[in-house]
Amino acid sequence: MTGWSLAWRLSRRELSARFRGLRLLLLCLFLGVGALAVIGSLAQAIDRELAARGRVLLGGDVEFAVSQRLADAPELAAMRAAGRVSETVRMQSMAVAANGATAPVQLKAVDRAYPLYGRLTLADGRTVGAPADDTVWIGRALAERLAVAPGATLRLGTATFRIGGIIADEPDRLGEGFTLGPVAIVSRAGLDRTGLIQPGSLYATRYRIAAKGAPAAIAERFERRFDTAGWETKTRDRASPGASRFVARMGDFLTLVGLAALVIAGIGIGNGVSSYLEARRDTIATLKILGATSGMVARIYLLQLLAVSAVGIGLGLIAGIAAVPLAGIAISGVLPVAPGLTVQPGPLALAAGYGLLIALAFCARPLVAAGRVPAAALLRGALDTRGGGGWRGIAWGLAAGLPVPVLALLTSARPGFTAAFLGATAGALAMLVAIGALIRAAAARAPRPRRPLARLALSALHRPGSRTVSLVVALGLGLTLFVLLATIRTSIDGNIRRSVPERAPALFALDVPPEREAEFRRTVTAIAPGATIATVPLMRGTITGYGTTRVADLATIPEGAWALRGERGLTFSATLPAGSTLSAGRWWSAQEAGESLVSVDERLAEALDLKIGDPLTVSVLGMERTARIASFRRIAWETLGFNFVMVFSPGALRDVPHNLAATIDMPAAKAQRVTAALLPRFPSTSVIEVGSVLAQVQDVVRQMAAAITAAASVAVLSGIAVLLGAIAAARAARSYDAVLLKVLGATRRQVLAAQAIEYALLVGAVGVVATILGVGGGWFVVTQIFAFDWLPDWGVVAATLALGAGVTMAIGVAGSLPVLRARPAAALRRM
Amino acid sequence: MVIRATDVRLTLGGVAPVDILKGIDLAVADGESVALLGASGSGKSSLMAILSGLERPTSGAVEVAGVDFAAMDEDGLAIARRGRIGIVLQAFHLLPTMTAIENVAVPMELAGAGDAMARAEAELAAVGLAHRLHHYPAQLSGGEQQRVAIARALAPRPRIVFADEPTGNLDAATGQRIMDLLFERRADTGATLVVITHDPALAQRCDRIVALADGRIAA
Repeated sequence: MTGWSLAWRLSRRELSARFRGLRLLLLCLFLGVGALAVIGSLAQAIDRELAARGRVLLGGDVEFAVSQRLADAPELAAMRAAGRVSETVRMQSMAVAANGATAPVQLKAVDRAYPLYGRLTLADGRTVGAPADDTVWIGRALAERLAVAPGATLRLGTATFRIGGIIADEPDRLGEGFTLGPVAIVSRAGLDRTGLIQPGSLYATRYRIAAKGAPAAIAERFERRFDTAGWETKTRDRASPGASRFVARMGDFLTLVGLAALVIAGIGIGNGVSSYLEARRDTIATLKILGATSGMVARIYLLQLLAVSAVGIGLGLIAGIAAVPLAGIAISGVLPVAPGLTVQPGPLALAAGYGLLIALAFCARPLVAAGRVPAAALLRGALDTRGGGGWRGIAWGLAAGLPVPVLALLTSARPGFTAAFLGATAGALAMLVAIGALIRAAAARAPRPRRPLARLALSALHRPGSRTVSLVVALGLGLTLFVLLATIRTSIDGNIRRSVPERAPALFALDVPPEREAEFRRTVTAIAPGATIATVPLMRGTITGYGTTRVADLATIPEGAWALRGERGLTFSATLPAGSTLSAGRWWSAQEAGESLVSVDERLAEALDLKIGDPLTVSVLGMERTARIASFRRIAWETLGFNFVMVFSPGALRDVPHNLAATIDMPAAKAQRVTAALLPRFPSTSVIEVGSVLAQVQDVVRQMAAAITAAASVAVLSGIAVLLGAIAAARAARSYDAVLLKVLGATRRQVLAAQAIEYALLVGAVGVVATILGVGGGWFVVTQIFAFDWLPDWGVVAATLALGAGVTMAIGVAGSLPVLRARPAAALRRM
Repeated sequence: MVIRATDVRLTLGGVAPVDILKGIDLAVADGESVALLGASGSGKSSLMAILSGLERPTSGAVEVAGVDFAAMDEDGLAIARRGRIGIVLQAFHLLPTMTAIENVAVPMELAGAGDAMARAEAELAAVGLAHRLHHYPAQLSGGEQQRVAIARALAPRPRIVFADEPTGNLDAATGQRIMDLLFERRADTGATLVVITHDPALAQRCDRIVALADGRIAA
């Protein structure tokens, strides 16, 4: 019989009887592997979905988008040369039902070629293209909001449409990005009927191409040829950059959570296995007496641990697979696609590999220690501390653990980020281990208290075989995670609260014709006499150059220069807008207002290293306009009003055809009546209730908060499991003391007091460090990963820390109750 | 001589070292039965630990069944024990997770014997436990557990059997029966027997008595 097969036989005999002792190993691996499996599978499923469905999500292989105009003849010819072209026009509008009910809609006009890819399906099962010119397909949410059904009529602008069907699946929905209100699809001729397209109207035109050649080459060629015309291009591999950015951020965070769960699980595994093997000390010594070598002992227990690990990893993988669709449903609002039940072999194998390596790395030292338990340990009992893992154990642990960071770095999309996290985690763990050793050393050197219970509590911290270091690490981790979660959660809640401005206008109106501004104001004030109405000229444009730089020549967008991505709202003003303060330069005088000047957001100026006097070029309606930078402004973004990154002097943009945008400040109760009064008079104007927009935004942020909390909870769960395991292990050592103290006449209260003192000493020492680590980690996640503002609620954080500390002490003390409840003789017999 | 110990010394403890054995010279002939007699703390259990390879002496020479124990490490001693030495301990120390037959088979399995189970069954039958083969230690009485321990020590047919206070955890009548069994099985197998005890009556049953006091041989 070979050594391994004999080891397996012996190992199996014991495992069937002692499986309970390895529950912590099982639980930690289950949580760690499960977390990684779900994270990896979800990320890969989303990536694959985005890649596989890129052309459907985008609506073509290449998309060219421009605002407030259609393509001219040379542009259209260039597109047609690249493949089959579909033109869609998208704009904000209002739908009015026959009963007078109104709702903001995303009006989308499509041509006969739409959709180039994918299928537009209706709720009745029909697959359709563009509707007839008097017909509209509407989103389900619009049908519900207006209480209308197919067959009913709907007014859009000045035209009436028959509802031809409810949209079940709009293939390019994701490519459309964030929209205010549900979609309503009409034909191109239908859009012309509405009268909504006027000079200055805000609309976006998109040309999707079923390309004959490589999409990237087509896009590049087109951009180079029409580089001043303000075109925004997308290719099918980057169908939804916004969604991809969130997915990347979430991916970073989830990777962090997965690695954290894994490291925490490793500590739990190390603790659990140490306790398990310590409890087997007599058995190991007996095996040694009977002739087992260190190698044989190590093999027996290695096989046991591997068997249990395989079960834990297997269960983790199953849970991971099962959790992917659930996670997809829970955070559907923030995910670009909804992954169903999916088995992704790559991420699953990676999760299993991580689990196995972590198990081996953290088991190595206790296993080597087990092999080194001397046969004579049987004669000398627990106080014989010979047989620790020593350097050999550490070396084996490092050998097994080294592939973990290597693998993490190799598979990470951002190795620098992963390396920083791993380094920080290692530093935090080293700090906790050092603190544990320090507490132990300090307890050994502290003067012996006179009171026996205090003496007992103090000596428990440093006596041979004490678990102070592992308890400090587990406690530190547990409390750090509690603090971390509290800071993240309360910060995001703070961001949600802050997104509701103390004073917000009741209505936004877009596309108010400038020549009818007075009539617009009269219509509003007739119903709401005290209303404050602010109007600004509004057009869309892209920055094409600044200083001596052409944006098209930039390989990457500089950090913080988000305004360079796509189109921005542009305005002009003779006076400094409310909510802005000048931080450099000066505002143009009445005489200078006729010149071509611009005032820029100071944060953008900093990101692009702009100087006063630099030229800034924008493309509006396909024409380039260059203005000289006259000032920088600090913008109060939190006020919900008109905040523009660029405000031009009237001389720069006044001659560009444009409409006005308006904010109407009045009691919200009158919003519906004002909307109803405006629409018949201003059919091309969109009126949006701010309350419903805010609710929509908050809903997305809430879902993000739920996703972040749920993901972080996995790490916290692992932390709790580790904490419970460490307390349970420490409790086993205390039970003997507790029973003996009772035999010697101590009351239960006295024994519990001694244990409470011990835990209070530990929690007090660790609480401070845990707060620092938790707050630091929370700040990093909130501000660096998710780019939210740092708004923790310190009261809640402190309460969470106190609760965590209290619960820890309660668990520690409560664990001794069964031993204390029993009669001493009975308890002694069981020991 | 199957056991030869020369000037064996043992010191334990780091900060405050304690001299347990202070120069022991002992020789035991093949097939002899020897009682190590002494009060608690006299060093008899430590001497047995060294002679059986459970402990390495601080200094001195130990040769057991032709093997120099003093020169061996922990694993070397474990391998050297296989088939040469059987040990019976006061607290039985059966493996709690294994049945009686598995407990008896383990040392033979570790030594690579292919017929370990059959021999374990025969040995258990020889100590009167044929009906308890598949019971776990917790399901056996103290006397039965010690009989399993004797079977485990004798089944590999070792040249030497060490018994450390084998009746210490048993009542007088059961203890008597266990000693009868131990001597009877030892006679059947022809093994050398070293018994540690503080019971003079038990010591009298051996061929020779070696008395220990304060880490030295007193008589």
